[in-house]
Amino acid sequence: MSSEPHISRRDLLRGRFGRGADAVSPDRTSSLASSARPLPVLHRPPGAVEEAAFLRECTRCDACVEACPVHAIVRAGTRFREAAGTPVIDASTQPCVMCKDAPCITVCIPRVLRAELPRRMGTARIQIESCLAHTRTTCTVCSERCPVEGAITVERGRPTIHAEHCTGCGVCLSVCPAPQNGVLLLPTLARSA
Amino acid sequence: MLSVERRAFVKSTAIAAATAAAAGSARTWALPILEEPQSGSGLRWEKAPCRFCGTGCHVMVGTENGRVVAIQGDQKAEVNKGLLCVKGYHVGLALYGKDRLTTPMLRTNGVLKPITWDEAIDVISKRILGNPAGFSFYGSGQWTIPEGYAANKFVKAGMGNNQIDANPRLCMASAVTGFLSTFGVDEPPGVYDDIDKCDVAIMWGNNMAEMHPVLFSRLVDRRTRGEKVTIIDMTTRRTRTSDLADHVLLFKPHGDLAIANGIAHLLMKDNAFDHAFVEKHCNFRTLGPPKDEKSPPEMLGVPMTMDAYREAVKDYTPEVVEKLSGVSADHIRMLGALFARKDIKINSFWCMGMNQHTRGTAINCLVHGIHLLSGHFGKPGEAATSLTGQPSACGTAREVGTLCHLLPGGLAIANPQHRAHAEEHWNLAQGRISDKPGYHAVELFKRFNTPTDQGGDVTTIWVQVTNPGHTMPNLTRNFREKSKLADKFLIVSDVYPTATTELADLILPSAMWVEKNGMYGNSERRTHQWFKMVEPPGAARDDCWQTIAVSKRLAELDPTSQRDKDGVWIFKTTDVEGKEIPVWEWAHYYDRNVDERLFNEYRLFSTHKHKNLAPYAEYVKARGLRWPVVEQPDGSWRETRWRFSGFDDPFVEKGRDFQFYHSVSRDDKALIWFRPHEHPPEMPDAEFPFWLCTGRVLEHWHSGTMTRRIPPLHRAMPKAYVEMHRDDAQTMGVRSGDIITVRSRRGAVDLPAWIGGRGNPKQGEVFVPFFDEQVLINLVTLDAYDPYSKQPDYKKCAVQLTRKG
Repeated sequence: MSSEPHISRRDLLRGRFGRGADAVSPDRTSSLASSARPLPVLHRPPGAVEEAAFLRECTRCDACVEACPVHAIVRAGTRFREAAGTPVIDASTQPCVMCKDAPCITVCIPRVLRAELPRRMGTARIQIESCLAHTRTTCTVCSERCPVEGAITVERGRPTIHAEHCTGCGVCLSVCPAPQNGVLLLPTLARSA
Repeated sequence: MLSVERRAFVKSTAIAAATAAAAGSARTWALPILEEPQSGSGLRWEKAPCRFCGTGCHVMVGTENGRVVAIQGDQKAEVNKGLLCVKGYHVGLALYGKDRLTTPMLRTNGVLKPITWDEAIDVISKRILGNPAGFSFYGSGQWTIPEGYAANKFVKAGMGNNQIDANPRLCMASAVTGFLSTFGVDEPPGVYDDIDKCDVAIMWGNNMAEMHPVLFSRLVDRRTRGEKVTIIDMTTRRTRTSDLADHVLLFKPHGDLAIANGIAHLLMKDNAFDHAFVEKHCNFRTLGPPKDEKSPPEMLGVPMTMDAYREAVKDYTPEVVEKLSGVSADHIRMLGALFARKDIKINSFWCMGMNQHTRGTAINCLVHGIHLLSGHFGKPGEAATSLTGQPSACGTAREVGTLCHLLPGGLAIANPQHRAHAEEHWNLAQGRISDKPGYHAVELFKRFNTPTDQGGDVTTIWVQVTNPGHTMPNLTRNFREKSKLADKFLIVSDVYPTATTELADLILPSAMWVEKNGMYGNSERRTHQWFKMVEPPGAARDDCWQTIAVSKRLAELDPTSQRDKDGVWIFKTTDVEGKEIPVWEWAHYYDRNVDERLFNEYRLFSTHKHKNLAPYAEYVKARGLRWPVVEQPDGSWRETRWRFSGFDDPFVEKGRDFQFYHSVSRDDKALIWFRPHEHPPEMPDAEFPFWLCTGRVLEHWHSGTMTRRIPPLHRAMPKAYVEMHRDDAQTMGVRSGDIITVRSRRGAVDLPAWIGGRGNPKQGEVFVPFFDEQVLINLVTLDAYDPYSKQPDYKKCAVQLTRKG
């Protein structure tokens, strides 16, 4: 928790990651020594390699975009500058559904998506001030639709996300019917190389 | 922290619900929300009851530039104190589905073509005059009170027959016959305050967490205040209610009758019943012999002695009940012991589980009976509370009497004196109100779907505010045959295309909710009022106006129709100077508040059965008032919470603790009924080995025509499914998501399986929600009904399951 930088909810919703001084931790900034700008923090498809390598090696071939059976993978827009054209997931429109066979990984020729890497795209958190179940009305949708066993459990009618199981697929975010979404989805900041 | 500025509205929902979302208050069950909705940002805030269920929560509706743009729980409302459920927060979006009906359409050579309102009114009027006896109205508890009153008067005064029925026949009718059999008058003696006071809450097949979530919150939030409330969930499947219950008693479908009789037996055997209360205030009752082979015994039965009653329930020992119901003998003893205790307050709750039941009247009577027998009645927290599904099932269908056997104010067609009262209020010639009841819902649609020369004497139905093409049981037989019968004519007033408009010959676009003035009445006898806030889209118009416009045209075409005994049109409306306003013309419909005019006429009926209503103006000021509402010496109006209880009910004679002043036995006593357990008409067998139960889900209301058009609700619950027990699924080799064909003797549908999902049926049982019009489970359901309430049983029929592919 403490190692993760603060990203405001508004910035997150608008896809503004990595802007501003406090957006990315110092060690992440230093990994991109040649640039004054920090790396963007993007919600990558499952099994993605570390971000600098991803940016370097992804050929923007769109194979994963086309392979995704639910059209969850889209091309990052130009506002993401050096990341433009690379595959990302916009979970509020269409989340990853965690296919068992992961066709996006199978078709990735440059191997920036790899079967042997953890399929951990991010972490979801319940925003208890907007979650309906935590603000005293019945709702269990996130736990019912979560594709990962054990990632969301319900105790006395209230959901808890277990970070150790959560893959950050974003299904919970996309189905949350609260007037102000009760799920905050944070992309994984530091993926393994 | 809550802002009603536009920029704060979440982009995915066109309407922001200012969720009362501040965390951290554990002191009250209601959420700490804004003192007053903020003004100053161009929004105008007005009160309205929620459009959906029978709970009757109030919302504050924010409008701007002619659109509803924000919804907030109304903290001034006693029912919900600012809290809403997931549907309530999004209720404003119900108006803005992309496919609102905006123009009248007539089917010509199989194709729907736009026509003018004038033409539509003409088509209906001529159709009715062509065969008045073959015409029937069909509405629902979604009619506002004035709309239902207008439709009822149109038929019973204007046409002189009783051809009107409504969806509450499928929903609340057994609760009505239960109240009538027990107290001699409809509707609950208790109120929601009982939820705040009871020590034990018993759910009789009632999934309150999903169906009445705000009331369930009101109950369970007491725990966060450190109060002890024991929840006993008696159910045929584990639900979200079970998750928060202290005891979950899983019973076999239809086993509820045995359980109730088992409790009664223990109270009698152990001499643990409330002797003083029973002696002073109760009589025992049982059904007499049947009149003939075809008819059931009279509903109001014959007296029986206490000894005979004791003898009758004697067979229901805990062990026998265990066999019949599947609930362990120890749990039956636990229930018996609870009811025997005098130091705790017990509140029973039910909704469709007990009402949609081929023995609905019987089980309703039995539950009232154990509350009376044990004396757990008529004090705060001690009640048997029936909850309603529709926003005005009580207010409109039951109180206004939009059913084929009722008149306004709880009066009955069968009672000559009641007919005379109606003739007096409506200034009709003696005998104008027919003594012949119309057809109840299932019979009505059966006849509409039967060739006219083979006894199908209903040829035209005008449906308003409901969706029988989706909700009638056994749809093929009771709705779809019509498409083969050329002389049948279906008129449908609605706001969206539905399974009903699909077969309609004439479609009328209606205004909905805050696009019109309205009044609703909720489950606790509370009458609400709201004003029109935005214009309906296109040529959509109020249902009430539609009824009045057709009435006027009929009166013009036929001098005997739609007039009182002096020849005056029954909906004549005048201004303050007594000059007639042409309310049948849409341009003049809002020249006067027609709701006020109709309500103030209707309330004259309310005194006969002590259901007194205040003048319209009182409801404008209040967040609803619970009847009987009685004027005080100082001119104020006082509502009543506990009926028949001396400390609160103004109609109980001074000095008496209880008085059942509409007593069936005419001695101010309530009736404790004996009704035996019997098997249901269809049970699983070798060919159809599973029980099918149907019902609602949290996110969708009724047939889903509104909620499925609300994106956040649709995303949360996009389609129907079949819930199965894990072991049954394993035996069949079925995993969640596999497509299963659910087939009964009447029809079949394909559904994805959901195992270990929201609800968990017992082995040998499956559950399917009915909201999804792409998968009409009512093609499968059984149309057998309770002999007294005529309410069909959507909770039990036999099906087979096969895995597809």
